[in-house]
This record gives sequence, C-alpha cells and structure tokens, in this order.
Amino acid sequence: MSAHLLAVENLTRRFGGLTAVNDVSFHVDRGEVVGLIGPNGAGKTTIFNLVSGALAPSAGVITFKGENIAGLKAHQICKRGITRTFQVVQPFPDITALENVMIGAYVRHGSRTAVEKAAQQALERVGMGHKAGVLGKDLTLMELKRLEIGKALATEPELLLLDEMAAGLTPVEIDDMLTLVRQLNAEGMTLLVVEHVMKVIMNLCHRITVLNFGAKIAEGTPAEISRNQAVLDAYLGGEEEYVA
Amino acid sequence: MSAWREYLVPVVVFALVGLLPAVLSQYWLHIVILILMWAFLSSAWNILGGFAGQHSLGHGLFMGIGAYLTAYMANTFALNPWISLVLGALLAGLAGAFVGYATFRSGIKGAYFALVTIAITEAAVYVVSNWRALGQASGLSVPLVGTGLSRLQFDSKAGFFYIILVLALLAVLLSQWLSRRRFGYRLIAVRENEDAAEALGVDTLMTKIQATALSAALCAVGGTFYVQYFTYVEPRSVFGETISIQILLYSIIGGLGTVWGPIVGAAVLVPIAEWVRGTFGQTLSGLNVFVYGAILVLVMLFMPRGIVGVARSLQRRIRPRREGVEPAASSAGAGDTARERGGA
Repeated sequence: MSAHLLAVENLTRRFGGLTAVNDVSFHVDRGEVVGLIGPNGAGKTTIFNLVSGALAPSAGVITFKGENIAGLKAHQICKRGITRTFQVVQPFPDITALENVMIGAYVRHGSRTAVEKAAQQALERVGMGHKAGVLGKDLTLMELKRLEIGKALATEPELLLLDEMAAGLTPVEIDDMLTLVRQLNAEGMTLLVVEHVMKVIMNLCHRITVLNFGAKIAEGTPAEISRNQAVLDAYLGGEEEYVA
Repeated sequence: MSAWREYLVPVVVFALVGLLPAVLSQYWLHIVILILMWAFLSSAWNILGGFAGQHSLGHGLFMGIGAYLTAYMANTFALNPWISLVLGALLAGLAGAFVGYATFRSGIKGAYFALVTIAITEAAVYVVSNWRALGQASGLSVPLVGTGLSRLQFDSKAGFFYIILVLALLAVLLSQWLSRRRFGYRLIAVRENEDAAEALGVDTLMTKIQATALSAALCAVGGTFYVQYFTYVEPRSVFGETISIQILLYSIIGGLGTVWGPIVGAAVLVPIAEWVRGTFGQTLSGLNVFVYGAILVLVMLFMPRGIVGVARSLQRRIRPRREGVEPAASSAGAGDTARERGGA
C-alpha cells in the first residue's frame, strides 16, 4: 500500500455541520498526473487544502512516501516534498519574480548563490527567465500563473498540486499552460490537479477521481470517466458550460 | 554590485558623520545623538514592522525593559551597564518572543496586533508606576560612578555620540545583511503574503516570533543607551504610547522596510521637532508633537513609500536606461533589486 507516492484513505473534513469531504480515498503514483474533478462545492479545493496542510483533516490518513502527514502544517509538508499552487494566484507583489521564486528555493538551499541559481532555473523552466527582474505586481495573469508554478518548482517537490491553473486564461493561454504542465510531467514530475476546464483534464490526466457533494463517485481513465453514467448524471452530461 | 560594497557605503557614511564632533556645538551634537538614537530604535522596530510587516505600536515596552533594567541594576547591584545592556536585550528578547507567540499563534494580525501591542505597553506604564523597586511614578536615576567607555558614562557628549554612532551603524549593517539572507527573505514573504509563504515552506509563526524577539532585543539596547545618556527614566518616558509611536514614525516617514528609511526619517524629523520645541516651547508647548502628526499625514498622503521610496522612484526615472538595457541578465535581478530596496 505504501508503494504509492501519495495515498489518501477515508479522508473526512467537517466544517460545523457541513461535511465538505466525506470518506474519500484515492492514490497517486510516481510519474502520474491525477485529476480531481467535480461540480462546484464538491470538495476538490478542500482536499487540496488537506493534502497541502492548509487545513487539518477531521478523520482519515494521508500517507506520503510511507509517512502519515495528515495534520502537519503547510510548511512542514512543503519540506517533505509536496507543494501546491493557488487557484487565485498568490504572488509576493513588492519583490521581483526572481525573489518570489527564491523564497521557495530557500527551502532546499542555504547559500544565496545556490538559491539564486536554483530560482533562475525554476523561472526558466516555466518560461519566465526573461522576467526575472520584474516586480510581482507588474506581471500579467498568465505570467503570474507561470510564476506560481515556478515558485512551487523551486521548493523541489516530488508531488506538485495545481489548483485550477487554467482558470481565467484565454484558450491560447490554456494551450500554453497545457504544454508547460505536460513538459513538467515528461521531466518526471508527479502531479495532482484540480481543474474545471475539461479540455485540460481530459488531455492531461492519466487517471481521474470524480467528487460530488464531498464523496467520491467514480475513478478511472479519462475515457472511462467520460462513459461513466454516475459522472454524466452528476456533472458532465448536464452542464454545457463546463465543457469549455 | 558586489556584496561588500553594500556594507562599505554605510561604513563610509557613518565614518564621515563621525567627524562631526570637531565642528558641531554641544547643542547640535546633542541633536545628532538624538537622531542616531531614534535611528537605532527605529531600525530595530523596522525589522518587525518594515521587513515582516507586523506593525507593533508597543515597542516602548522593549525600550523600557532595557532602560529600567539598566537603571535598577546600577542602583541595586552597582552592575556595569554593559552587562545590563546584554541582560536587557535578553530579557526584552524573551518578552518579545512571548508577545509574538501569544499574539501570532492565535492568528492576531494587522490592526489587531497593533492594538494588542498598545495595550501591553500601556499596561507596563501602570505596572511600573506602582512598582516600588522601580521608583513608581517618579522613576529611577542612574548613579554617576565615574566616566569612561567601560562604565558607559562620559563627561562629554562626544563619548555618547561615538557609542550611538557605532550602534546605529551596526543596526544598518544588520538590516543590510538580513535583506540578503534567508531570514530576511522570509520576513518579506510573511509581509507580502502569508499563505503563499507557508505553502513555500516558510514557518510563518516561527519567523514572526523570531522577528519580534530580535527587534525587541535591539530596542532594549537602545533603552540602555537612553538611560545612560539622560541618566533618568520614568514610566511615560519609555513605556508611553508617544514613545512607541515615535519609534515607528521615523521608519514610516523614511521608508518602511528599507535599510536607510529609519536613518533618513530620523535625520529629517528630529531636527525639525527639536527646532519647533526650542522656538515655540514656551509659547506653544506640544507643538512639536503636532508637527510630527502633520508631517505623518502629509507623508501618508503624498509619499506613502516614504522618503527613500520617493528617492528610489526618482532614481529610476533619471536612469531608466540601466534597467531597460539588461532586464534579463540572468543573476542580475535579485542582487539589483535587493540593493535598490536597501541601498537607494
């Protein structure tokens, strides 16, 4: 069981009387891209917050590289090798793109030269090498989304959590983002993605976990999911707007 | 620009300031001592308030710990003030860590943190005013036991001047050093975006506690200097909210979160306030406080990034080409901006 890079078992999170995540289990293996989908309010972002340590679970086990990380703080989980990006980009506005990424790189390196070098490499991996000296607040949304991934990469994660990286982007930018994420995966990065844009999910993920009202209703390859009747009822079939 | 030049500039500037006793009258030397003392205290505040963005309105507490501990130890145990300086820094550091832990662990931030810190230092006024060993409301005097560097008492102002000159220089060098280190970047990350900082492996709670402790310890050193120089301390002269506000005023007016902001702010403001006090002190007492308020309002309205912030944007406007020509030079980005943030 601990062969999985990440194994989530019977994860539950309650907010007062509301059960946002109810007894959900899934796993991610090394080298995979796993998608988490579901209608609004299905519990996707809550699961992200639980896995990344922004929230503590009410019940359940989150095993990462054989260790239970449930309830650890976000910075502790980051050091263990899981880093998340935010759905709404969270740059450090008053410092440069390079310095933004350096904050992540300081998790792995102590000396300033090593940190600057690692940060510059991370920026180049996300196609932002030429923006190193630009302040966070002067970047466009697409650049901020790239920076968001660059910051996360600088922490040298073994598992990268991407929260709606396509939200707010134009179709052309979404294609660029898809290319970037595919390339990260080709370089060996394991990814867990939450996404609303079905084109991204269907093109990117090896496996998909489908949530509805906090519970898992299906799991499988994109092809299986697109044929699954429960999923079609809950989500895919009904709403045109999700099929971007 | 290489790193050592960032340290050379302050050393040269302060060395030049060190020539002043030869040319200044005693009165003006006193003004420069005040400038350096407030620059030092405000630099200490700036580590927590400017770099880490946690605006304490209660740093008089830590200054007061240093001042009172030094005066009490001198009176009761005839302890050397240098030892008191270290003890005061340690005690204030502990107090700072405790205040930081108590507030930040329960998620208090922003205006609420400011309010809690006001409350704590105001409470200290009343505690000390009723504490017999600390002289209650009438305060404590430091006994004169002889002069010299080892006793931290001098028969001329020049002696005090050189002590505070070195302290202020060390504060600038420390800020400069921090702004290029992991801890400095973590302070900035906490100020800019705590959620993002936490997600990138920054222990934001620990970072804020450490910043409060360091800032508090340095303020206590300033308190020791204060009581050695004025030889007298009473509750309101250190713990009062006027002092706490004065400590942060110079950073805000000079430039929050910049290395030179507190220095520039004190250099501009202290002489103005002292001139007003000297000229109108008899007829309109308290006008200097009014002037502080008026300048603060004007700075907030017209240059919210402070004097150093304005100077930096002017510098950018005058020399835009430099940044335009080599925007992508790979490792130039961080070094340049770190220097600009600190050096301009």
